[in-house]
Amino acid sequence: MAGILVIAEAAGTGVTRESLETASLAMRLAAAMQQPVCGALLGAGDLANAAAQFQCGFSALLLVESPQLATYVAQQYVAAVQSLIAKVQPAVVLFPHTAKSRDWAPRLAAKIGSGLVLDCVNVTVEQEGVTASKPMYGGGVLAKLVVHGDPALVSVRAGIFECAQLSSGGAVERMELPQLAAHPGIQHLESISIEGAGGQRLKDAKTIISGGRGIGEKDNWHFIVEAAAALGAAVGCSRPVADAGWVSSSSQVGLSGALVAPDIYIAVGISGAIQHLAGISSAKTVIAINNDPEADIFKRADYGVVDDFKEVLPAFVERIKQLRS
Amino acid sequence: MNIVVTIKQVEDPATPPSHMVLGASGKSVQSVSGVPRVMNGYDANAVEEALRLKEKHGGKVTVVSLGDSSARNTLKRAIAMGADSCVLLSDPQWELLDSFGTATVLAAAIRKIGNVDLVLCGRQASDSDAGQVLYWLAEMREFPVASPIVKIEESSADALVVHSLLEEEYQRLSVKLPALLGISSEINEPRQPSPKGTVTATRTMVPTWNAAALAVGPLTCKVDMTKLEIQIRTGKAELIEGADGAARGRALADKLHQLELL
Ligand SMILES: Cc1cc2nc3c(=O)[nH]c(=O)nc-3n(C[C@H](O)[C@H](O)[C@H](O)COP(=O)(O)OP(=O)(O)OC[C@H]3O[C@@H](n4cnc5c(N)ncnc54)[C@H](O)[C@@H]3O)c2cc1C
Repeated sequence: MAGILVIAEAAGTGVTRESLETASLAMRLAAAMQQPVCGALLGAGDLANAAAQFQCGFSALLLVESPQLATYVAQQYVAAVQSLIAKVQPAVVLFPHTAKSRDWAPRLAAKIGSGLVLDCVNVTVEQEGVTASKPMYGGGVLAKLVVHGDPALVSVRAGIFECAQLSSGGAVERMELPQLAAHPGIQHLESISIEGAGGQRLKDAKTIISGGRGIGEKDNWHFIVEAAAALGAAVGCSRPVADAGWVSSSSQVGLSGALVAPDIYIAVGISGAIQHLAGISSAKTVIAINNDPEADIFKRADYGVVDDFKEVLPAFVERIKQLRS
Repeated sequence: MNIVVTIKQVEDPATPPSHMVLGASGKSVQSVSGVPRVMNGYDANAVEEALRLKEKHGGKVTVVSLGDSSARNTLKRAIAMGADSCVLLSDPQWELLDSFGTATVLAAAIRKIGNVDLVLCGRQASDSDAGQVLYWLAEMREFPVASPIVKIEESSADALVVHSLLEEEYQRLSVKLPALLGISSEINEPRQPSPKGTVTATRTMVPTWNAAALAVGPLTCKVDMTKLEIQIRTGKAELIEGADGAARGRALADKLHQLELL
């Protein structure tokens, strides 16, 4: 087995940013290994446009296009990736770390007996073999892990690498999705979509304002919503807020939520636990509003205001409106 | 309903990196100043959910933990919460297992317990953040698996209806038992041990199963740790000054405007 297989996720009519980031790590790793990179795209709709965006100088680009991928069913993804591996025979498979891949990849690893490391911030080739760098302990510790297996499987955290440049490569080839019998143990009844609280996909948002436990109660959440509307920002939250049900879990930022990469991230009433900070490592400018001057968020933030958010936020929003008009 | 919950004892996830040190091998991390270790948060949610299912359907909740002898404390906490029995899985050769190795041991323990209808695991451990053991375990036991589960909507003796979280949707799934679920924190608020439970826990003898007891041979890891590094953050925000909160809020807006950020 040789070379790298990089698997992209299609989104709408294009390809996700995380996919392009993963491709750039793949190209870097390929240069070190002096081996080729083969690309692959999975999606439900017509992948022609996504395929045009996912041209990163691959030796070949394989498209697995099937309406059966429209609803996420783990077995379909496992089967699709397994058939890609059978065709390409790669030494390493890279893919973005997403809600889907954190579910299908461990199933695949267990099925084929391959080593897998999820949510990595780098992959290198060392004397011992393919080595993944992975944050542990919520982000307080960085581990180096040698990944064994044919192939070694690694998912890549969003927001760490630049997107790969467009560059022409080898032929585009379509592959059939293997036909699967329904899994006898699990039946998909229904998908219930979650309204994004800010009406904007958190991961793509340029500005995000997030509220934490310091907001105090659900009845105070309007402070965050109003500020978001005035700023044109997406709404995020910390885990206690999602756990309490003030907003849905899809708005949660952090290790077990969304990894975001906005130009501006405003954290209100958030203490700055490492698990939360893990989600904003790619934010360009971080602003914190917190009444505790010792809060850890001020170690990550670029600018901070120490005070009650109920005093700070409305005045901040009013002034922004004035400045913009 | 015969339920097994897998639980892990971890360093308190609230410990800041500045209070962590590397263990002697350089491949583990511990807290300084004797911060007590705790039950992994998602595992506490799994214990709670198991107890609720037992309250509804009857049956038995068994908690198992792979760890050193100190993991007894975490098993006893689960007993104090209301679990019926517990087993410690411990052997010197299991010290640095990866997800595959851990799942191999857990699968052998579940086989030995026998007649299991449902296995609940936390969706991931807060130390390794690996999020894989439950899937390897499900594959080894040939159980259907779903994770992360934020709600069990319906339960009967042979099937469950659960909500699994994806990025922008919940999936409602019907899962036939026996099965395995990865439990997430949205699902419940774990109960505190009752006084009576605490007494029971104190009296509980924790049985230990080692490699020989489980007939588990030597394990070769699929993932080997070569190095750990503690990452300490030292930055400091520029604090915006002003007469009162409102003035500081306005000054923050001015600052961001001046920097052309907003
Ligand atoms: C495995 C694992 C995964 C996790 N994943 C995530 C994750 O994805 N995302 C996440 O966020 N957390 C996650 N956590 C939880 C994390 O450890 C913290 O518990 C959580 O981030 C704390 O949320 P918080 O900052 O809102 O609350 P707290 O830590 O309680 O902080 C509240 C803050 O609000 C401030 N405050 C209070 N009142 C006011 C006021 N009137 N005005 C201004 N400020 C005020 C306080 O000073 C305090 O700093 C995870 C934990 C584990 C163990």
